[in-house]
Amino acid sequence: MRSPFKAWKSSLVYRVTGTIVVLSMILIGLLGSALYSRVSAGIFDEKLKLSILDAQSTARNTQIQLSYSKYRDKAALTFVFSDILALPPKTYESAAKEIAVFSFENINKMFRFNGASNSLDLKSISKKFREETQKSKETQWERTKLRYLDGKSESAIVVGNNLVISGVGKYEFYVIFSLAQQERTMALILNYLWLTGIALTLLIGLTTFFVMRRLIAPIQDAARVAEELTTGNLDLRMDIHGEDEIASLGYSFNEMAVSLQQQISRLENLSKLQQRFVSDVSHELRTPLTTIRMASQVIYASRENFEPTVARSAELLISQIERFESLLTDLLEVSRFDAQAAILEIEAIDIVILVKETIDYVHPSQDRIINLKAPNSPVLVDVDPRRIKRIIRNLISNAIDHREGKDIDVRISETENEVSIGVRDYGSGFNFSDKKLLFERFWRADSSRARTTGGTGLGLSIALEDAKLHQGEIDVWGERDKGAHFVLTIPKFAGGSIESKPITAQLN
Amino acid sequence: MTLIMVVDDDQDLAEMLGIVLTGAGYEVDLVSRGDEVMPLFAAQNPDLVLLDVMLPGLNGVEVCKLIRENSMVPIVMLSAKGDKQDVVAGLEAGADDYMVKPFDPAELVARMKVRLRRSITEVNSELAIGNLKIDQIEHSIIRDGQVIALTRLEFDLLVALAKEPGRVFTREALLSEVWGYRPATDTRLVNVHIQRLRSKIEVNPEEPKVILTVRGVGYKAGVPGSSQ
Repeated sequence: MRSPFKAWKSSLVYRVTGTIVVLSMILIGLLGSALYSRVSAGIFDEKLKLSILDAQSTARNTQIQLSYSKYRDKAALTFVFSDILALPPKTYESAAKEIAVFSFENINKMFRFNGASNSLDLKSISKKFREETQKSKETQWERTKLRYLDGKSESAIVVGNNLVISGVGKYEFYVIFSLAQQERTMALILNYLWLTGIALTLLIGLTTFFVMRRLIAPIQDAARVAEELTTGNLDLRMDIHGEDEIASLGYSFNEMAVSLQQQISRLENLSKLQQRFVSDVSHELRTPLTTIRMASQVIYASRENFEPTVARSAELLISQIERFESLLTDLLEVSRFDAQAAILEIEAIDIVILVKETIDYVHPSQDRIINLKAPNSPVLVDVDPRRIKRIIRNLISNAIDHREGKDIDVRISETENEVSIGVRDYGSGFNFSDKKLLFERFWRADSSRARTTGGTGLGLSIALEDAKLHQGEIDVWGERDKGAHFVLTIPKFAGGSIESKPITAQLN
Repeated sequence: MTLIMVVDDDQDLAEMLGIVLTGAGYEVDLVSRGDEVMPLFAAQNPDLVLLDVMLPGLNGVEVCKLIRENSMVPIVMLSAKGDKQDVVAGLEAGADDYMVKPFDPAELVARMKVRLRRSITEVNSELAIGNLKIDQIEHSIIRDGQVIALTRLEFDLLVALAKEPGRVFTREALLSEVWGYRPATDTRLVNVHIQRLRSKIEVNPEEPKVILTVRGVGYKAGVPGSSQ
């Protein structure tokens, strides 16, 4: 399972659905609370209106009841009040719940009476409200919380009036109406509102999710197909349903894939043709060349029996056949690079041994003109030894060709992941501005100068291609009459790349 | 006289090879089609076969396999392509050596000589490598009393390693000792033959005990008598 954060970041479906769910939650919340407060205000107002009417009529009746009685002492009064309190009036909706009576502060001590029906806590009626009731001639009301001596409580409306008993004094008279029924109704409404809200949100969320999924599916399909195409599975196409905008995306996409496939297969065919041609030319040219070569050697072997001019011709024939042969080999190698048909055959080898052997091969004579500076321990590298040998052979042959009698320095140096082989000569060198031209096919440093050895003019170009196959580089420094410095740098391990160079191409 | 069978469809090249080899003192038998090789081979019993890869009738690699079914005669392939697949296919079919056209005739003759040379019986005629016994007089390899059939080249390769037990041979060194090459030639030859040899003599070729690889350098002989 993906983490929610990641899902949010990477999926349009999750993001859109999430946003819509949050927005609809806010909207539904606002609407719901507005509705709730309107309904609850309406219910309360209705109840209040009835309660006030009810309380007023109860107060009037009580006033009349009190007026008929005679009060000689407190006992008589208490008796009447207890009677009133014992049987709270069950008028209208039997809504009046409790009654409370308080005598005014300034009343004669003997007529003082505070009491309430049932076991109502007298403090349920706030002091502030009582003062307002005392002062006013009008009916007063307040929303409050009833408390009973046994700990129960409930919401209620208290409606207050003043009663006057002539010859005795004033009393506050409170009729109390329970709001329990209304609260139950509101709670029920609230529950329904919550349920409706949650259901709506879920509905909106799920709908959005599935609609988005449906919309996104072709896009995901396109992405998947594109990915497959990239990895080379060119036969894959998008599924198309219907004729809407999404379908037209599919059609265009598939058309693109078809044209891509055609282009690629055309190029592949070209490349195959090229490789076939190279291979055929190779075979066709090599067989007659072998015959020519053998014939020339047979002729050459008996040159002593010929006239001098014929003998010399035999010598020229031999040397030019050799030159032709190496030119053919190099040309085939170059065309293999051009057809991108060159393949690395990686092996683990000690590059120090390889360089030593190459030096011995290129310059087998006893007088040492090549000084090798190399680490004492083996330097193991993963390379195609045939190609690396060819690069080094090329660089060293080049140096020998241009050394003008001076020694050549060959240096091997390594870092953790790279190895460099530098070949430095102190001979004729080249114009530094020609640096780039060096690696061009058939380019020669001085076209007027006689060639000293049988170089084909393709050597450095092939060396550079070989180095590139290894993710390597060849750096060059040179100056006219001061010599040249060629440095091959390759990663030690297959698949690596060059990050630093143990040797840089410069004066030394 | 030593008889060389030259199999090549190019008439001129075959004739030229005939001239060169006759000049070097060999008797030469020319064959131009791949499917003609086996009947003639059985009749003539040549001492060495020079075999072109591209042949009408039956290609060189197939011919090589047919010969190897019942003969250990030295086979040198002649290939017009230096491509890896061709070379390796030929070597895996059992060829001992190969030459890429255009080759130097002198080098061809030199290598043929190495392949034809009889191993000179030395004083130390019993050699051991890993758990193998090499009988140089009988020219055979014995493991646990069982004789293992090897081509002459494979025998030479094994003897070269066994003669100097401590030495690590680079592939170039093996090329010059066993094949008679000068250095800087193709070392794939060695890899393929070492693999073939291992498949014949090692109990488990994945975990060689007779011919050991020294990473980055080459090969050396396993300790004689070491159990596998």
